[in-house]
Amino acid sequence: MMEKLILMRDRWAATPWVRQAVVLFSVFGPATIAAMADNDAGGVATYSIAGATLGYPILFLLFIITPLLGITQEMGMRLTLVTRRGLADLIREKYGVKVSLFIFLGLFIANLGTITTEVSAIRTVSGMLHIPVWPFVVIMLLIAFAFITKGNYKLTQSIMLIVSLFYLTYIISAAKANPDWGLAFSNLFYPHGVVWTQQYLVSYLVIGMGVLGTTITPWGQFFISSFAFDKKIDKDTLKYSQFETYWGAFLTDFFSFFMIVATASTLFVRGIVLTSGEQAAEAIRPFAGDLAGTLFAIGILAAAFMGLVIVPLSTAYAFSEFFGLSGSLDSDYQKSKTFYILFIVQLVAAASITAIPGISLFHFAIATQTLNAMILPLVFFYLIKLTSSKKIMGEHANNGFQKNFTTIASVFIVIASAFTVIAVVFKW
Amino acid sequence: MAFISELTGRPVTDFDGTQIGVVKDLVARSYKEFTHPVVDAIVVHGKAGDRAVPYSDLAALLSAAIPLKRPAASIPAYEFGENDIRLVDDVLDKQILDTDGARVVRVNDIELVRVNGNVVVSNVDIGMLGILRRLGLEKLGRWTAKRFNTDLAVGSISWEFVEPLIHDKSMRLKVPVEKLAELHPSDIAEIISDLSRAEHSDLLHKLDIKQLADTLEEVEPDFQADLLEHFTDEKVADVLEEMSPDEAADLLNEFSPERSQDLLKLMETEEADEVRELLRYDEDTAGGLMTTEYVSVFPDMTAAETIDHLRKVGEDAELVYYVYVTDNQEHLIGVFSLSDLIVAKPDTPILEFMHKRVVSVELDTEQDEIAQIVAKYNLIAVPVVDAEGRIHGIVTSDDALDKILPTAWKKRLPHFFGALE
Repeated sequence: MMEKLILMRDRWAATPWVRQAVVLFSVFGPATIAAMADNDAGGVATYSIAGATLGYPILFLLFIITPLLGITQEMGMRLTLVTRRGLADLIREKYGVKVSLFIFLGLFIANLGTITTEVSAIRTVSGMLHIPVWPFVVIMLLIAFAFITKGNYKLTQSIMLIVSLFYLTYIISAAKANPDWGLAFSNLFYPHGVVWTQQYLVSYLVIGMGVLGTTITPWGQFFISSFAFDKKIDKDTLKYSQFETYWGAFLTDFFSFFMIVATASTLFVRGIVLTSGEQAAEAIRPFAGDLAGTLFAIGILAAAFMGLVIVPLSTAYAFSEFFGLSGSLDSDYQKSKTFYILFIVQLVAAASITAIPGISLFHFAIATQTLNAMILPLVFFYLIKLTSSKKIMGEHANNGFQKNFTTIASVFIVIASAFTVIAVVFKW
Repeated sequence: MAFISELTGRPVTDFDGTQIGVVKDLVARSYKEFTHPVVDAIVVHGKAGDRAVPYSDLAALLSAAIPLKRPAASIPAYEFGENDIRLVDDVLDKQILDTDGARVVRVNDIELVRVNGNVVVSNVDIGMLGILRRLGLEKLGRWTAKRFNTDLAVGSISWEFVEPLIHDKSMRLKVPVEKLAELHPSDIAEIISDLSRAEHSDLLHKLDIKQLADTLEEVEPDFQADLLEHFTDEKVADVLEEMSPDEAADLLNEFSPERSQDLLKLMETEEADEVRELLRYDEDTAGGLMTTEYVSVFPDMTAAETIDHLRKVGEDAELVYYVYVTDNQEHLIGVFSLSDLIVAKPDTPILEFMHKRVVSVELDTEQDEIAQIVAKYNLIAVPVVDAEGRIHGIVTSDDALDKILPTAWKKRLPHFFGALE
């Protein structure tokens, strides 16, 4: 009798589709978060300015960025699944302290830029909702700090939900704004339909770098491994996580696509130069009507908060991996003290930078996300090297396509970075 | 005293003074009778590639340039031994096991000292200062540490307590069992969660059944199953017997129904029956969480008789602090604690000092509710009864609170994602 009961209980769980669903969902949770977090306030601002300034042709970039995002995230995931070490761990072990410090500084600067963009978004929201700036910023930073140190799953979930709903408003708005769908979709495959002036080309280059840097982030490369740590490595897990990272990449850019279409079909067609939150909110007016401003403010606030929580955390975890924080400090208290100091430094520094007068969220977002993109090849270099190494990865080393695609993309990013710097310095 | 970070890159000169290359690595050999390994050779990186030169052919090692004693061409190649450690390749920047502090730490630098004409590995540097030295900023580090009156930056572990975890190879622990035996199972569990698969599998094979069972109880069931993947069924069955029945049941739930049945058959009948009983209940209810190893007595016993009884059965019980009183049909009618028992006069019948209002939970009570009850009444364990009030087992407070306070394994993820698992 008893044995029968055991069998019955297990048989249900052993049903193929139930097992598959369980495996899939357990893998999906974190990946969806990572994908969502890619579209933080900086992301919304960047996609808005991309759509408003460049119209549909910028969509072509998504066609290249999406596979690049998927493949590089999968590399990071696979690296950790096979070695049970994070990207930072392995860079430290194989390339030593100096390289580690160099990459950490790059990551730190890129992350500080991203955090500053989030704070800048909070300031924009305070303006839109007529709340005094500094009290609002300070309160939000305090909440973020409490959130990082204490953590709250329910709140995380609610914020994710608000952000997802916010993204959905873009999809509905894009549909209601009567965009030229033919032009939008054909632009995914080749950019066309605009006059290619020199000014347009320069904008395309700089903003394109921004779009790249906000979609594929250096911190994302370090963050992905924390999800892979506890998983078992077998053929199936590898297959699922591969599918999962590709799906995550698709999801990220699915939303990006509609954000760009919504802004392109509302702002670009009317020739509005994006400088304020109110203008950016116009993109969701087809859905939200007069509530557009308020809805945009709440949505971008939630997106900013999400970035404010995840990005400083990724800096702290990378620091601890690179420099063995837990080892150099004896107790958990000491460890968390260093973690706290790192958080506070990042949040305060970001808030101080936004105090510099004349910084607009949208221009600042482009600048910081471009910086993100410029640091990417550095991270990719080590990621590709590590994941291509047969010695480290064994049979799970990169195949030719994975290696070549990412290498060529990295080279292009380096060239584009150089042109961007020249374009900005010489004011083309 | 010297640091390996200072030695690497130093020029190595031939007998005639020409440079043949620079120091790339140091090879240290461990000897049974000595806790610290001795430098036995250096790896020289030259134009023709790397070559290992025996220590005995060096005129000096801890000097600005390293001269050879005889012409390089006449020196035979160094033969690597089984106990050789390449300090740069295998240890520097890698994670090691600090058996004194029971933790996994990263090596920032390695300290060498001269002892009777030999160079010996004395300590590994795990502090911030080691990192700063590698970056050429040691002075700045010392100055800052002094200025702020803190020794945070300094940290080193004597090699005596170091277990290198050699990656890409299966780990060979030097004196594992003796050292590991002194560690608390929680510490072993913590260490295992920091190790890679190949590393922890070796470590687990070194533990005896009792240690293995204790260690497994400190990690989550799905990870337990993962850890035991390469163990034979016989050994897993032995471990299951050693574990408390509730933990064993949780672990069995992680295996396929077939393997779980096979394992139950391999176990001693008595232990297997206890586990089978628990397997009937859902994992997150009192029935699934409870252990059947509690102590119960009859109300007509005296305090002295009870103490004698406890001496006999206490060994097998998970918890003897609470003693439950039942009638001969196992109906729970009272409870008393060890302190009640010891304070009572030897000939007092239990009926006179037992508490008759017993806080209990039912077999299907959910874990959250049990946790609340345990917290509310400050209990170390709570008895589990069926609808007729018969006692079936007890849920200890650590099992009840497990969900709220996750075990070591879950600490790794940022905590607000923990719940998503």
